[in-house]
Amino acid sequence: MILSAIVFLPFVFGIILWLWPSERALRPMALGFSLVEFILSLSLLGRFDKAAVGLQMVEKHPWIERIGVSYFLGIDGLSIWLVLLTTFLVPLMILGAWNSIEHRVKGFLVSIFLLQVAMLGTFLAMDAILFYLFWELSLVPMYFLIGIWGGARRIYATVKFFIFTMAGSVLMLLAIIYMMFLTEQAHGVMSASLLDFYRLDIPFVGGSMMSLQTLLFFAFALAFAIKVPVFPFHTWLPDAHVEAPTSGSVILAGVMLKMGTYGFLRWTLPLFPEAVEYWSWLFLLVGTIGIIYGAVIAMVQPDIKKLVAYSSVSHMGYVLIGLFAMNEAGLTGALYQMLNHGISTSALFFMVGMIYDRTHSREIAKYGGLAEVLPLFSIAFFIFTLSSIAVPMTNGFVGEFLILLGTFQAFPVFAYFALSGVVLGAVYMLWMYKKVFFGEKGPLVADEHHPLTDLSYREMAVLAPLVILVFYMGLLPGHFFSYSKASLDHLVKNKDRYELTYHDPDKTRSDR
Amino acid sequence: MSPIGLADILIVSPFIALFLASLIPVTVKVLRGNVEQPAVATLTQGLGGFLGACILLLTVFVLIGKRDSPTAFADVLVLDGLTLCVGLLSLLVGAGALLLMHDNPSTFGNQFSELVFLTMNAVLGMLVLVSAVDLLIVYIGLETMSLSLYMMIAISNEGKLSKEAALKYFVLGGLASAILLYGISFLFGTMGSTSLRALVEMTPQLVGTSKIFLFGMILVLVGFAFKVSLAPFHAWTPDVYEGAPTPHTGLMATAAKAVAFAAILRIVAANSLVESENLLDFLQWLAVGTMLVGNLAALMQRSLKRIVAYSSIAHSGYLMVGIIAAGVSDQMTYAASGVIYYLIGYSVMTLGMIGVICLFERNEDTVVTVESLAGLASRNPGSAICLTIFLLSLAGIPPSVGFFGKFYIFSSAIGEGLIWLALWGVLNSVIAAYYYLKPIVYMFMKEPEPGYDVAVLPSLTATRVAIGICLFCVIALGIIAGPVFKVIESAIL
Repeated sequence: MILSAIVFLPFVFGIILWLWPSERALRPMALGFSLVEFILSLSLLGRFDKAAVGLQMVEKHPWIERIGVSYFLGIDGLSIWLVLLTTFLVPLMILGAWNSIEHRVKGFLVSIFLLQVAMLGTFLAMDAILFYLFWELSLVPMYFLIGIWGGARRIYATVKFFIFTMAGSVLMLLAIIYMMFLTEQAHGVMSASLLDFYRLDIPFVGGSMMSLQTLLFFAFALAFAIKVPVFPFHTWLPDAHVEAPTSGSVILAGVMLKMGTYGFLRWTLPLFPEAVEYWSWLFLLVGTIGIIYGAVIAMVQPDIKKLVAYSSVSHMGYVLIGLFAMNEAGLTGALYQMLNHGISTSALFFMVGMIYDRTHSREIAKYGGLAEVLPLFSIAFFIFTLSSIAVPMTNGFVGEFLILLGTFQAFPVFAYFALSGVVLGAVYMLWMYKKVFFGEKGPLVADEHHPLTDLSYREMAVLAPLVILVFYMGLLPGHFFSYSKASLDHLVKNKDRYELTYHDPDKTRSDR
Repeated sequence: MSPIGLADILIVSPFIALFLASLIPVTVKVLRGNVEQPAVATLTQGLGGFLGACILLLTVFVLIGKRDSPTAFADVLVLDGLTLCVGLLSLLVGAGALLLMHDNPSTFGNQFSELVFLTMNAVLGMLVLVSAVDLLIVYIGLETMSLSLYMMIAISNEGKLSKEAALKYFVLGGLASAILLYGISFLFGTMGSTSLRALVEMTPQLVGTSKIFLFGMILVLVGFAFKVSLAPFHAWTPDVYEGAPTPHTGLMATAAKAVAFAAILRIVAANSLVESENLLDFLQWLAVGTMLVGNLAALMQRSLKRIVAYSSIAHSGYLMVGIIAAGVSDQMTYAASGVIYYLIGYSVMTLGMIGVICLFERNEDTVVTVESLAGLASRNPGSAICLTIFLLSLAGIPPSVGFFGKFYIFSSAIGEGLIWLALWGVLNSVIAAYYYLKPIVYMFMKEPEPGYDVAVLPSLTATRVAIGICLFCVIALGIIAGPVFKVIESAIL
């Protein structure tokens, strides 16, 4: 029951907040609720068996029996950290948006909790239709978050976001339905369970687009590639990020993009082994292009938030090449980089939001000399800058190092080019840091009438956990790896014939 | 040919009950010296008639219809699962439309009893249509339904558009009926029978060999294509839906369409499309064209009722995908159940949307545009959230009933290997997402321009009840999509 509780508790919280009569108590209540959810999800770590390969804490109930769709949740080393990342970021988002969201607070908080349900469900669903359901459901609250509380061009951005993502995912729906019929042919019973999908042997013909496995592979890959987003499908991302409110950007960068990379990891790689091997050059290519392109575009951005958004495109390129390197270092690095990006980019978006709250501008040219005025802010920003450019001892280093190591082992050519992204990343981040925090005071900073104030206690409370994690994940990555190692090893070893089973059914039964 | 007996009467007893109930409001009015009784009383009588007929239909089905699908009057009417499912749907939608009519400025007034009478007879025509297994009875059912609808539209309180709509609908509907009859005559000529059973048995062989049969079949389908507004026979739909009083639009867009599709399901039976590439191609292009025309035209609409009209055209296209899948399958229950589930889902969400539009109609001339919804969420969050849920369901966002309807239809198409048809379907649902999102954008993300906004009218209790029931169905039918589908499938097996 624990997984269902974790997925649907935010829904209950959302309903309570929606029905709550007074406006005043909403924010503290929401913060309390999200902390309860976080503590509950921490209990997963205790229950989790690190050595086990199979799915744990499984819940499976028939739902649409006629076509083998079930309510099927499970967790393993691939998803546990993403679940925790989601529950960890939501309280910070609520705290971060404490003063910046002024109107329609109730709707905002309800949207956030609904989004949390959809994201957790996506990471935990082990049934294809259930997965698709949560996947699509996540669009709706995000659509409202950007559209209602966003900036000037919010409507364009949110509609673009919705249509892009939906266009990708409907093809995935067709592929899912087709695979359900394949399970019927192969096993006699129609099933939408991911575990049954893994057992399929889908015919593959190299060199032909019309081969079955290739088509299914691309149908899934397109949906995930748009979500990640992979170059050239990334154009919705800068728009969505720039127009979204701070907490919207945080959840978008922190968790929603990971839904795409998690999709690659959980669905595409194990389901279509031959197609992945045959087409990996394509994804390594677009991943590498994404790294360099994102970095180069980030360099010329006049807007801090847009710069961070393009840095996301670049960072997600690393995750992609790590995934398609398909070896242990690459996959471990990719999974770690997902978490890193969730921490450091979220933190950068938080900080951009904080400075925007003070000056109502994000234009780099208008800043300068901020370090003198806001020392604490500058230190925190510097830490996250270092994390973002992957300096050793920070979390970013571990992830990028492993990804590049894995890529060098498998596809050295792409690794050479990807490596240049590390340098470019340092260039645009440090260049931006220099312009904003050092040098002559810009018009916004020097404004005598509006003196800027340093971090408040609330803002420190938002940033402190993130700072701690940057160093903790940078210095002691072993703690994090130990949970996901068994699952990743299993994936790498059996990449041609991946199967997954339940782990410890006795314990599962007693859980129910 | 067997003589007519008590068993026949029993089978059609729901029809008789509905007809007798429809007489009550007009009779009372005549007895009172042509003075309207209170609208609530008329409404209660109408609702009572609908619910009574529902209960009777269910009872008769459970008592005698469950296993052997008995027929009445020498094999012209049948009581099977399809009759039950779509019959119940049209009765309930009729009741819902009555609730809306009670509150709507263009329908209440001193002709309410006649309107209730006509509505119930339109639904009676629908029941006949859905249970008919003889082409001539199909025609009679269709005409009973259509004639009642023409008159219902014409007696609207609104002076100009509704008259135009009624006349347009009448002329084009009459043309469609003529084409249908012409086609029936060819079928009769080649088969020597008007029975649908004979048609279903003979189609697989005749459709490939006899050109005249194919010609007749296509004419019959074209006749129905008019009724369910498949492109290129859809041109009347937007004008009629816009001009008709909004509750009537709801009835036409949902129940009338559902029964026409049920009749198509009876004509395009299992295996009938396998032998004839021509017919299959014709229907596929009809489906694809309908989806594209409906969705692309809807992108440019401003009036909500016209959006409903074009969206209903597009949904006809999706439904055709299910019909084609049923037509090429050996065993049509899965695809047919998918179509029925879709019809139910489509009916509740469209009727719900129509209900919300009714909330804004101050007088009979009100045109509710997308722009006039601006800022509704801050003025009246309840109606904005209801409309949002209906729109998201129409767009096919899970876990609503709209998603599972599409899921069943597309999965039956993929199961029959019609992958490119399913591909067209999903691509169209992406286009559709744009115009379904547009009202949401206005309601939640824009501020109203002065003098250009709508207000929710107070004291529309009946409308609110109807919306509430639709809302419940949209969410509940989505979550329990599995059991509902199972019930439908076991009923029509």
